[in-house]
Amino acid sequence: MAQHVVTMLPGEGTGPEICEAVRLVIDASGVEIKWEYEEIGLGCLEKYGTLLPDKTIKNIAKNKVALKGPTTTPIGTGHKSANVTLRKVFDLFANVRPAKLIPVLKRPWEKIDIINFRENTEDSYAAIEHMVSDEVAQCLKVITWPGSYRIADFAFQWARANGRKKVYCVHKANIMKMTDGLFLDAFREAAKKYPEIETGDVIVDNCCMQLVRNPAQFDCLVLPNLYGDILTDLCAGLVGGLGFAPGANIGDNCSIFEAVHGSAPKYAGMKKVNPSAVLVSGIMMLRWLKETAAADRIEKAMFAVLDERKHVTYDVGGTATTDEYAQAIVDKMHGKA
Amino acid sequence: MATTFSEAAKATRKKKVITLVGVDMYIVTEEGIPKFPDGEYGPFKCEFISNRGTKVWPGFVSPDLMMVNWYRCRFMATQDVKDADVDTFLAVLTQKGWWWSAAQKLWTHDGEPAFSKAY
Repeated sequence: MAQHVVTMLPGEGTGPEICEAVRLVIDASGVEIKWEYEEIGLGCLEKYGTLLPDKTIKNIAKNKVALKGPTTTPIGTGHKSANVTLRKVFDLFANVRPAKLIPVLKRPWEKIDIINFRENTEDSYAAIEHMVSDEVAQCLKVITWPGSYRIADFAFQWARANGRKKVYCVHKANIMKMTDGLFLDAFREAAKKYPEIETGDVIVDNCCMQLVRNPAQFDCLVLPNLYGDILTDLCAGLVGGLGFAPGANIGDNCSIFEAVHGSAPKYAGMKKVNPSAVLVSGIMMLRWLKETAAADRIEKAMFAVLDERKHVTYDVGGTATTDEYAQAIVDKMHGKA
Repeated sequence: MATTFSEAAKATRKKKVITLVGVDMYIVTEEGIPKFPDGEYGPFKCEFISNRGTKVWPGFVSPDLMMVNWYRCRFMATQDVKDADVDTFLAVLTQKGWWWSAAQKLWTHDGEPAFSKAY
């Protein structure tokens, strides 16, 4: 079996205890991973004067794959988000955010199985903002042809590789004819390479309304950065919240898998939080590393433990600690429970 | 006397002391990251260059980074400057063959930067 070397970024707040629980489960799945721990976040600011030290960047560049716990973004301090910096430094252009119903979380829908492909590096996230007079601010929304084409191409390739049937572009090109118009044109150009996949487009406000009325109609969605930011959380809410929402940030040469929830500093050290979001991100990572059997084993065990409700954390009605929940998944994989 | 919402909103305006401190230049080039040697642009000095919002000069540039042919080049003033200095600066840039799509003056408002940094 191949040994993988993966950078582990435990992050802050509850991040370290979550990542340890996730490591316990992944290591017990039979996959061979050498973990290399690196630092990121507010703690680094005091030690190194930056949220993202060079040593961490170099390690990720070497290993090309990382699993990341939650970090805290300081508000109004003038420091840039470590998450956004990571995406920019490694040009992690594809933010892949699946939203799939988890059986134990009772939701009013029969089926939700959506994969969102959010463009991760441009749009109004290009950090180009100015006060153009003392009563007017502007933020440049930067959409480029290659940036738009590659996220669409990536989504279509993912869809083809995973047997998905439909890929739709979400936009507001009826109003923003240049920027969203370019995004849509690039999507349509990329779609020509994938004639077997049904394609179409939907205006972002209508997409939101359709998502809450009939989410089962959607399969894969390709979105510019800002709409993607909003709709991916909307989709996470449809399936039960950020506690089970995985995420991957993927570039041409490097991939970082992470939960999208916050670091919950008030619970740090209490070992009560649910590590599932990082765990399902880890499952995504294993599939990316082509360790499908291990990923399937963990997912099956996790669903079984959730279904039994004996060893689940407080947010899903149980009393188990983070570690007890992780151990229950390990025991289930090994047929002990 | 009745006040409209628009009038009420305008009345809350807080006037600021506005000081010119630099210019963001948006340069279109197929020749890669532009270079602006110090001393060739009068009282302005290039502080950083970004592409699609990511800083590409000075410092580390990921070999993974995809760039387009449009660069934001931030020039900061090295001394007190006036609007006329920007006019001269733009003329020098054009003379040197740089094709620019837009210029955005940078100001401080009450001494605080009224513009974002690049990642």
